[in-house]
Amino acid sequence: MFFDSLTYNYQTNTQERQSTIDKSLQREINLARNIQSKLLNGKTPTFEGGEVSGSSLPARLIGGDYYDFYLLVNGKIRIVIGDVMGKGIPAAMLMILTRGAFRSAAESTQGPGETLTAMNQALYEDLRTLKSFVTLFCADWDPKTCLLTYANAGHNLPLWIKGKSNIIEELPIINGIMVGGLPKQVYKEHHIHLEEKDTIFFYTDGIIEAQNGMGERYKLERLIQALLKNKDLGAGEIEKCVMTSINEFTEGVPQRDDITMVLLKISQQKTDISSLNSPVLG
Amino acid sequence: MGLIIEKGELGTTTVYKFIGILDISTANRLDTLLEDTFGINTLIFDFSELDFIDSTGIGFIINAIYLSQEKNVHLKFEGMKELTHQIFETVGVYRILDGIQREGV
Repeated sequence: MFFDSLTYNYQTNTQERQSTIDKSLQREINLARNIQSKLLNGKTPTFEGGEVSGSSLPARLIGGDYYDFYLLVNGKIRIVIGDVMGKGIPAAMLMILTRGAFRSAAESTQGPGETLTAMNQALYEDLRTLKSFVTLFCADWDPKTCLLTYANAGHNLPLWIKGKSNIIEELPIINGIMVGGLPKQVYKEHHIHLEEKDTIFFYTDGIIEAQNGMGERYKLERLIQALLKNKDLGAGEIEKCVMTSINEFTEGVPQRDDITMVLLKISQQKTDISSLNSPVLG
Repeated sequence: MGLIIEKGELGTTTVYKFIGILDISTANRLDTLLEDTFGINTLIFDFSELDFIDSTGIGFIINAIYLSQEKNVHLKFEGMKELTHQIFETVGVYRILDGIQREGV
């Protein structure tokens, strides 16, 4: 190997070009992150008799977790949380696809089961082509009847924090295959009656799988303890306390999976829904 | 900790034993695993020493289910630990395997 000015110039130019490409890629990733963050952390609906809150922390610059709220014209609020297979940019692209399918399905379907059925119908071919899938849990909260109706497409069951007691349990089980797993799936619904001070904690498995420096996992037990300790706070405060508890446990160790949670907290029963036909976006 | 895959063959049955972690950092090694299934009638995935599986690992299993149908190979799972079983149950892996083997797509 020899070194002359021609070789030197070639190397310098190549390095400069690579540096320019790297900077450009970094800028585009940051733009993508901003877009995803804005879409994920958009407007949170406000309504009488309760509150919802949600947040998502990607493990990498951008992630594949997803949550959303959709206000229905009958005063109900449709909530969805999901986890796209994989991580990073590929998962983020599919997350945007999932969001579009949810928004479109929520508009035209009667309940969460129908929404998941329509989403699987819309996404199945694309997801199979891409060898991917998404787990989703979808629920309708009806402030008029205090009923939470839900359907599940392969997602972990949310936790039901019973405000008048110190009991936390998973929602009664309902099975359904991940979206993108099989075609022509029909997702069944189940419903429960919520009482004042009850909270539903929807989450992705990145929470209980968060690891500390010793390789230990945060696990469901720690999550339940954090929720019990803070169950009387507002939805947003509980969310912050759970995140603090996870951060204290992991001590800044970079996580392998995205962390996402959504809370629905009931503050009073039998709400006068006359003002709920047009819930307000705050 | 990574992933070790042990292969065993007995007649027309091939067993792949997954040892360690089947996640985004290891699953890409599996792309070629099911390319050559010539002469195989039954494929067994042994998960008895699988310590962790994430969504990318699940994605590999789903693809293996579809590939086994395309290649007319009977796929079976063995050595399910409680956690792996729970994950498969939750996301619907068993029902996909059952649906594909029973009815195809």
